[in-house]
Amino acid sequence: MRKSTMIAAVVGLMAGIAQAPSAQAQDFPPPKVDYIIPFGPGGESDITARFQQPFFEKIFGSQLVVSYKPGGGGAVGWSQLNSMADDGSVIMGTNLPHIIVKPKQGNVGFETEDIVNVYMFHYTPDAIVVRADSPYQTLDDLIADAKENPRKVTFSGSGKGTANHLVSVKFDQLAETETTYVAFKGTGAAVTALLGDQVSAEWGYTTVGVAQGEKVRLLAVAMEERHPAFPDVPTFRELGYDIVSGAYRGIAVPKGASEETRQAVSDAIAKINADKEFRQKMIDGGFALLDVPYGAEMDAFMADRAKSDLAAAESAGVLD
Amino acid sequence: MFEYILAAFTPLNILLALGGVAAGTIIGSVPGLTATMAVAVLVPLTFGMPPESALILLGAIYTGAIYGGAYAAILLNTPGTPSAIGTTFDGYPMAKKGDGDLAVSVACLSSLVGGLVGAGALLLLAPPLAEAALAFGPVEYFWLAIFGLSLIAALSTRDFLKGLIGACFGILVAMIGISETSAEVRFTFGSQTLLGGIETVSALIGLYCVPVLIELAARRDRHLKEPEETRGFRLPEAIRTLLREKVNVLKSSAIGTLVGALPGAGGSIAGLVAYSEARRTSRGEPAYGQGNPGGIVATESANNATVGGGFIPTLVLGIPGTPPDAVILGALLVQGVRTGPTLFSDGSSIVYTFIFGLFLATLLMLPVGLLIGRFAYRTIVRAPKAGLVPVVAFMTVIGSFAIRNSLADVGIMVVLGVVGWVANRRGFSVSPIVLGLILGRIAEEGFVQSWTIGDAMGNVWGQFFGRPLSLVIIALTLLSFLYPFFPALRQRFLRRQGKTAPDEAAQDRIPDRSDTRAMIRDFTGIGAMATVAVVVIWQAASLNPEAAVFPRTIATGMLVLCGLAALETVLTRRVVEDRSSGSALRRVSVPVSLGIGVALVPVLGFAAAGIVMAIGLMLAAEHDRRSARSWAVLALGVAAVIFAFTLGFRDLLSVPLPRGMLF
Repeated sequence: MRKSTMIAAVVGLMAGIAQAPSAQAQDFPPPKVDYIIPFGPGGESDITARFQQPFFEKIFGSQLVVSYKPGGGGAVGWSQLNSMADDGSVIMGTNLPHIIVKPKQGNVGFETEDIVNVYMFHYTPDAIVVRADSPYQTLDDLIADAKENPRKVTFSGSGKGTANHLVSVKFDQLAETETTYVAFKGTGAAVTALLGDQVSAEWGYTTVGVAQGEKVRLLAVAMEERHPAFPDVPTFRELGYDIVSGAYRGIAVPKGASEETRQAVSDAIAKINADKEFRQKMIDGGFALLDVPYGAEMDAFMADRAKSDLAAAESAGVLD
Repeated sequence: MFEYILAAFTPLNILLALGGVAAGTIIGSVPGLTATMAVAVLVPLTFGMPPESALILLGAIYTGAIYGGAYAAILLNTPGTPSAIGTTFDGYPMAKKGDGDLAVSVACLSSLVGGLVGAGALLLLAPPLAEAALAFGPVEYFWLAIFGLSLIAALSTRDFLKGLIGACFGILVAMIGISETSAEVRFTFGSQTLLGGIETVSALIGLYCVPVLIELAARRDRHLKEPEETRGFRLPEAIRTLLREKVNVLKSSAIGTLVGALPGAGGSIAGLVAYSEARRTSRGEPAYGQGNPGGIVATESANNATVGGGFIPTLVLGIPGTPPDAVILGALLVQGVRTGPTLFSDGSSIVYTFIFGLFLATLLMLPVGLLIGRFAYRTIVRAPKAGLVPVVAFMTVIGSFAIRNSLADVGIMVVLGVVGWVANRRGFSVSPIVLGLILGRIAEEGFVQSWTIGDAMGNVWGQFFGRPLSLVIIALTLLSFLYPFFPALRQRFLRRQGKTAPDEAAQDRIPDRSDTRAMIRDFTGIGAMATVAVVVIWQAASLNPEAAVFPRTIATGMLVLCGLAALETVLTRRVVEDRSSGSALRRVSVPVSLGIGVALVPVLGFAAAGIVMAIGLMLAAEHDRRSARSWAVLALGVAAVIFAFTLGFRDLLSVPLPRGMLF
C-alpha cells in the first residue's frame, strides 16, 4: 500500500480541490444524509464521524445525521448495508481490517466484496505504548526482555482479529519474539489495563498517546513517516521492521448506488478531508489522514490490505 | 472556587440543567431508551454551545435518565434503564401493595443524595479515586461480576438451585454471537439474526415486561392497588424512610461512586452491589425483595452516584467510566477539550464549572422528579387495563427497536419474554436470568484475560487467588452467598447446643407434598434447562479453546445443578412453581399480538402495525363491558399515544422507524 497510498493521497487531494460542484454533485448530497456507524457511540468511528459532521454541513449546507447500528463487531450494520436506500441518502462507516477479516471467520452475513467503499479518509496507526515509568525506554529494550523471557512480556490490545491483534502477530514474526497478547473489549479497557500495571505494554494507537499525554510513552509507530504529534517517536520501519498498519476507516454506500452517486460521495468526503481546519483537528487528535478515493485507487488499496491482513490473520489463528 | 459557581449558575446553564433533567427523566422512564441513547441523541445540539454548557446539558440528561429508569421499575416491574434493575426487586412489590407513590418519592430522594455524593467525590477526590480504580485488573472484574451474581442467593429464596440454573442460562444466552475476546462466532446455529448477540436492554425488557403484560391481561383485578384518596407526594414519609436508612443511603452512595469510577463496571453493577450489601446488613421488615424501601434506597442512591463517579476516570484518565461517559468524552474531543490530569491541576474553568452544574442538575431533579413521578404514578394507576396493556406493549416494542435500530431485536425481546414467562411458571425467577445475562459477559472477559495472563506467567492460581484486592471481593462474595442460609445454620448450631428455636423448626418438618403431575411439570422444566446445557457443551466442542472454556464450564455446572434439582424434587416431593389463575386464551393473545405487530412493521409501517397490535391487546386485556362510545374514546386515545411516540422517535430522536405502506 505504501506507494499507492502516497499516490492516492495526492490524487485524492487534487480530486478534492479540483472537483468543485460538478454535474453529479447536484444530486448529492440530498438535504439530509444518514451516516450510519456500525458500532456504538463514543468509539473512534463515532468520534471521527462527529469531526466530519460540522464540516459536511458547512461545505454542503445539508444535514448529516449520525446514527448507530452496533452488533457483532460491525457485522450487523455491514450485513444490512446493501438493503438500504442507494440514492446517496445513506452512507455507512467501514473499518479495516474488520471487513477483510470477519467474513473469513465464518458466516457473518456479508463478504468483503459486497461492500462498496468509496473513500478511506483516515487511519489510527498502531503503536506500542508503555507507561511513563516503564523500564522500556526504547523498542530494543522491550525486544531484549521478550527474548530473555519468552511469553512473559504481555500486551493489552483491543479485541481479536483486530488491527492491534494482527500487528502483534506480525511484530512477533519480524522481531522473532514470543509475546502474549491479551484481548480487551475496546481501546479504553486496554488502556486501563496498561495504566493499572496489569500488562507490560499495550498495542494501541497514536490516539492513545495523544489522550494519555505524559502518562505514557510510545516506543514506535506503524506509519510510513513520523506522526506530526510525535516527532520524537521512531517508525517501525526506521528501526528495521517493515510494519505500516492500523485501523483504517472509510465510507461505503449500498451496492445499488449508481457510479455517479459513488463518485459524488467520494468527492464530498475528499472535500472535507481537504479542509485545513479539519486536517488540523484530526492530527491534533492523533489520527493520520488518508486519501483513497473511489475507483482504481480504492481497488488497489483494498487488494493490498487484504493480502497483508489475511496473511497476519492466518498466522494469528483467527480464521476458520 | 466561587467564580466557578457563578459561572455555572448563569441563566442559560440553569435553563439547560432544568431542561436536561426533565428530558432525561422522561427518556429514562421509557424502557429501552437508555441514558447512553439520551446523551448520544443530544450530542449534535451541543456543538454550537460553549463546552461547559454542553457538558452541563449532557450531565443533566444523564442524571435525569438514570433516575427516570426507576418509574418503570417501580410501576411496571421493568427497569427503564439497566441501572434500575435492583429497583424492581422492592419497588414493584411496594407498588402492588398500593405504595407506588411512596416508592417513587423514596427513589427521588435517594437519587438526589446519591447524585450529590457522586458529584462531591468528583469535586474533591477525583485524581486519587481515578488512581485507585486502576488497581482493578481483569481478575478483580471477574470476581466483581461473581459478587454481583451472589445476589441470586437472595433473589431465589424460594428455590436456590433453580436460581443458580437460571443464572447459568442467562450467562449462556449472553455468549450468543461474535465473541469480543476471541472473535469466534458462537451458538448462532447459522442464524444472521443472532450474529450480533442478544442485546442486553431489549432482553431485559422482554424478560421483565412481557410476563407483566401477560399477567395483566390474564386477570380481572387491577394492575396496582389504587389509593382511596389523593395523598400528594408522601414526602414526609419518604424523608423519614431515608433518615431511617441513613447508613444504607450513605454506604450505597459510596459504593455507587467507587463502582462508577471503575471503567468497565457501570451503573447496573453498582446498583446490584449496593443492593446486595444493603440486604446483607438489613434487619428490617418486610424482607428485602418483598417491598422493603431499603432496596430502592440502595439501588437508586448507588446508580445516581455512578454519574459523578463515572466522570472521575472520564475526566482524569480520559477513559470512560460508564457507556454514557464514552459518548460525552467523544463530544468533548470534538469540542477540542483535552481530558486528563492537567484538566484538574490547571484549575481549568471547564471542569469546575461543569461540576457545579452537575450539583445544580442534581438538585433540580428533586422538584422535576417528584412532579413527573407523580404524573407517571397517577397515569399508570388510573389507566384502564385495555389502555395500559397496548400502550406499554408499544413502548417496549419501540424501545427495543431504538437501541440498535433493529427489528430483529424486537423479535428477540418477544421470544425472550415468553421464555421468561414460562420459566417463571416453572419456578425459575427472571431476575437470576437477567443477572447472568448482564454479568456473564464481564465475568467471561475477566476470566479469559486473567487466564491468559496467568498462563503466560506460569501462575494461573496465583493470578486468580493471589491478589489482595481479589481476596477481599471473594470474601464479600462468600458472605453474600451464605448469608441467606445463616438463620438455618444458626438453628442447627443451637440445636446441637440442645436449644431449639421452637416454631420455625416445627414448620420445617411439614413439607407440603406436591402431586405427581406437578412433579412431572417440574421435571419437564428442569429437563429443558438441562437440554440447553447439553446443546452448549456439544456446540462448544467445535470452538477454539479461548471461546469454549467459559461457556463449557458454565454449561457443565448447569448440568450438575439440573441433576441436583431433579434429585431434590424426588426426595422432598416439593415443587416450586407459579400456578396463578387466569385465562389461558388471554395470556396467549398477548405474545401473539406482539408477534403479529412485529411481523407487520415492515409491511404497514411502525405506527400502523402498532395499532394492529394494540387492537389485539385491547381485546385481550378488557374484562369489563364497555359502551361503544367508551371503546371509541379508548381506542382513539391509544392510537394517539402510538402516533405521538412514533413521531417523537422519528423526528426528535432520529430513529429510522420503518415507514412501510402506511406510516
